[in-house]
Amino acid sequence: MKKNQSGTPNKSLRRRDVLKFAGGTAVAAAFGAIPLRGWAADPVNIGGLYPVTGSFAQIGQACVNAAKLAVEMVNAGGGIKALGGAKLNLILSDVQSEPTVTRTETDRLISGNKLSAIHGCYASALTLIASEVAERAKMSLITGSSSDMLNKNRAYTFTPFARASQFAKAQLQMAKLVSDKPKVAVIFENTAFGTSTSNGLKELAPGEGVEIVLFEPYSAGFADAGPLINKVKSSGADMLFSVSYLNDLILIVRTVKQVGLKVAINGGSGGFVVPDFYKNVGKLADGLLGVAHWNHDVDANAQKVNAEYKKRYGEFLFEYGGGLVAQTFMLVDAIERAQSADPQKVHAALQKLDVSSGYAAMAPGGKVKFGPDGKNVYGHPVGVQWQNGDLASVFPKGDAKAPLVKI
Amino acid sequence: MLEILAQAVINGLLIGGIYALVSIGVTLIFGVVKIVNFAQGEFVMIGMYISFFLATQFGIDPVVSLIVSMPALFIIGVLVQHFLIRRVLGLNDMPQIFLTFALSLLILNVSLMLFTANYRTVHTWYSDEAFHIGPLYVPVAKLIAFVLAMVFSGILWLFLHATDLGKAMRAAAQNRDVAQLMGINPDRVFAVAFGVALALAGAAGSLLMPFYPAYPMVGQVFVLMAFVAVVLGSLGNVIGALVASLMMGVAESLGIQFIGADSGLIVVFMLLLTTLALRPSGLGGRRTR
Repeated sequence: MKKNQSGTPNKSLRRRDVLKFAGGTAVAAAFGAIPLRGWAADPVNIGGLYPVTGSFAQIGQACVNAAKLAVEMVNAGGGIKALGGAKLNLILSDVQSEPTVTRTETDRLISGNKLSAIHGCYASALTLIASEVAERAKMSLITGSSSDMLNKNRAYTFTPFARASQFAKAQLQMAKLVSDKPKVAVIFENTAFGTSTSNGLKELAPGEGVEIVLFEPYSAGFADAGPLINKVKSSGADMLFSVSYLNDLILIVRTVKQVGLKVAINGGSGGFVVPDFYKNVGKLADGLLGVAHWNHDVDANAQKVNAEYKKRYGEFLFEYGGGLVAQTFMLVDAIERAQSADPQKVHAALQKLDVSSGYAAMAPGGKVKFGPDGKNVYGHPVGVQWQNGDLASVFPKGDAKAPLVKI
Repeated sequence: MLEILAQAVINGLLIGGIYALVSIGVTLIFGVVKIVNFAQGEFVMIGMYISFFLATQFGIDPVVSLIVSMPALFIIGVLVQHFLIRRVLGLNDMPQIFLTFALSLLILNVSLMLFTANYRTVHTWYSDEAFHIGPLYVPVAKLIAFVLAMVFSGILWLFLHATDLGKAMRAAAQNRDVAQLMGINPDRVFAVAFGVALALAGAAGSLLMPFYPAYPMVGQVFVLMAFVAVVLGSLGNVIGALVASLMMGVAESLGIQFIGADSGLIVVFMLLLTTLALRPSGLGGRRTR
């Protein structure tokens, strides 16, 4: 007993000494007393929040790949020139496809690192949470997520691409490509996602001169799309809008083929405009229409980035990933103009962002300038069509890179 | 109008065939082993992945891969019965319910880890083809699935009525103790029953693969219908489950066509509740007084 008592203080003293030394070194390093590296080479950190596990894992990992490619491109081009060629450094965090994890991870990422800005999180549901946390921490968040909620009561969230409300309008206008007086059947899965998206379509349809001949909610995850397509057939529609999850959409597309129904299909955005969709549906996907906030043929720079991504990962650069490369360059543009890695100065520079050339301007329309709500004032979606396993921009005229293939 | 009705009935019958394969397995296990197998859907999923990998790795047609998936699941079934189910038989209901429920969750989550949540599809030459008869169409892949589902149901019926092992199974189902007195080894009979039930789930998986995407949660799509069919067709009654499955497929299809595309389950459960109210032991059961 006694031995122990006399032994303990000694041991802890020793431990304390070690800690003191380590702490002193860290403090000294922080204030530059020990020059580990030149000041100019200190990297500028940006954070990235993506779901690389859980239900969004695959697409989340693809986002990470694109984000890393963008950082490599920045550094290969000489880094941040205004900061003496400082390297850009991406600090990643896995939000696990879970809202609660997103909250804690965003908090941890911001408080645990010296960041200039962050980007994330692919899924709107996750981005909304990350943007709340970033707002409170006064940290700029740039995102390709499309929820219009991201532009409400937020000063630190920047959305350079089209908003969800714009997608519906574009989709309706695209129906005119198929027929002068389009008759549209809208089928949608009957939860929040499907209902809100399809209601948007229904409200805007009269204004766009589109007649909706069938407006049908269905329960997601059906065993058979036959009865539903039977209904579409009897409605006499020449265009089908399917607001669906991937699983249902695969069955719908296959069933339309089996029935031999002559109807143009617009599958909207999200899971419909990623390489995986083609892998699942195959040749049947050719001719299908969709909408996207970015496409790899929007300009020459985008094509260049796409070629590099394709070389590395064997598939074309998808909507969100391509937008993410552009976002990284927008952040770099802001840091360059701020001439500082300080998050507040970067935020002020982002508010004044106005680009129309270079990688930062890789967007439909080719211009990015943020309004007071963080929305890109030039932002609009592109209409795309699957053509031979690739996505081609076919709408609007100004962005079209390939003629529409009629089916 | 008539053609819409006819098409809705065709669609319903075809998918009903798949429901039948799943529900016959559930009802067989319930009838013989007196246990509800909540993991039946997950075994369908395993069948799908077996066919998926055989198709993508070796180019084997999913329907042909039945000759792998059915024996594989039969063996899994025997092992599950021998090492897990057998231990909890004779105890009260709770451990039995939780055992198969836990098994379901375990298989589901292991699959999520191994295969991820992505959808996997197999394209065969007949996947997206259909026979057109006037204004009606019959998808080839679903027709193959339906025909084979009926063939397997027929074989099972023959097995239960014409073979010694089948008769032993029915005997053990009717009265376990008496069957034992007659020299029937219940452990062996139960293991075979479980194996056969899982082989049917494997068959359902392989037959689904040409036209339905595989993913870890896919079993849930079919198992709910299977349970309803089992109750509707009287618990433990193979022919009852078959007829109820086909009825449910048709009811669901008609509901979607004539009421609304989100009414499929409403129609099915209305049918179930009405049947139970009028015939509490199900369609195949004896009228209770």
